[in-house]
Amino acid sequence: MIKLGKSVQKQLIDTCNNNGVCLEGNIIKLIDAEGDTEFTEYLKEASEKDKSSRRKRLEITKQIQLQNKELVMAQEANMKLMDDLKVALDASTHAKEAAEADLDLLQKKTQTELIGTIVRVALWIVVGVGVITTLIYAIAILTGVDTTLIGNTWSNMFGILLTNSFSIIGTIMGVKYATEK
Amino acid sequence: MIDMIDSILLVDDEDLFHLVFEDACSLLDITLSLKSVSSTEEAEKIFVERFKNKDTKPECVFVDLNIVGSKYDGIEMIRKINYEYGNGCVVGIISSSSDKQEQAKAIAAGAQFWIVKSDDIEPRLEDFRKDFDGYKNRTAKFKVYD
Repeated sequence: MIKLGKSVQKQLIDTCNNNGVCLEGNIIKLIDAEGDTEFTEYLKEASEKDKSSRRKRLEITKQIQLQNKELVMAQEANMKLMDDLKVALDASTHAKEAAEADLDLLQKKTQTELIGTIVRVALWIVVGVGVITTLIYAIAILTGVDTTLIGNTWSNMFGILLTNSFSIIGTIMGVKYATEK
Repeated sequence: MIDMIDSILLVDDEDLFHLVFEDACSLLDITLSLKSVSSTEEAEKIFVERFKNKDTKPECVFVDLNIVGSKYDGIEMIRKINYEYGNGCVVGIISSSSDKQEQAKAIAAGAQFWIVKSDDIEPRLEDFRKDFDGYKNRTAKFKVYD
């Protein structure tokens, strides 16, 4: 135990009475009052003050600790929410990409079908024109009518139709190639 | 004075808990000498120093189970205190966890007690202080304060 002596004890008591400043902390527990009633009272008062301020600090620290825990939990919840949002965003991005791919595929399919129809119609026209011209030419030959004009027309028509057929086939191949890319 | 523990070392990464523990120990007159460190590395330094100067040895060590930012956890710290730095001080866990498996590991590492942290830590510390002599004499069995 620490013995301070009468003079120091008096100075401490005076400082407490005049300025309200007392000893604080665990050091109070180590001081021997040396039988002095006034100093014993001083030490008791200083100890009570110290305990009171510690109690207050302890309560505040506990509140801060609790708030800290709540903040940490809120932060964790926020992080989880952010993660969930990220997952949802990723899923929607994938869905959008899939929908776009489907739409593109559908467009290509429609284009191909349209091209197929055009080709079929064009080929029927080519074949039809070819057949009709040939029939007229054949009838002209069989009936003994002058075939000079129809003959030239037939050969010109046939050349044009063949050229157009190749042109159509070339266009189809080109479109197919482009859509596949 | 007789019931007070000479010196306590607290190893806990939560600085706010240092203040809570310090105030609770002071209010309950548990010790006059309390040192708080935030990592096992700092605690290790203290124990290394202990070999040079026996007076620096803490009489009781409270170790948190999970010490964030440290090389190893509380159980490994207890094992080191008991088997590497030499036995002699009362050592146990102070944690918000009360996991039975972790408690079994702590016992195997040489922990003598387990205090569950809560908003109301004072009654648990008071109970611990009552049992302290038993831990010091190595007569008290492992106990969980919850």
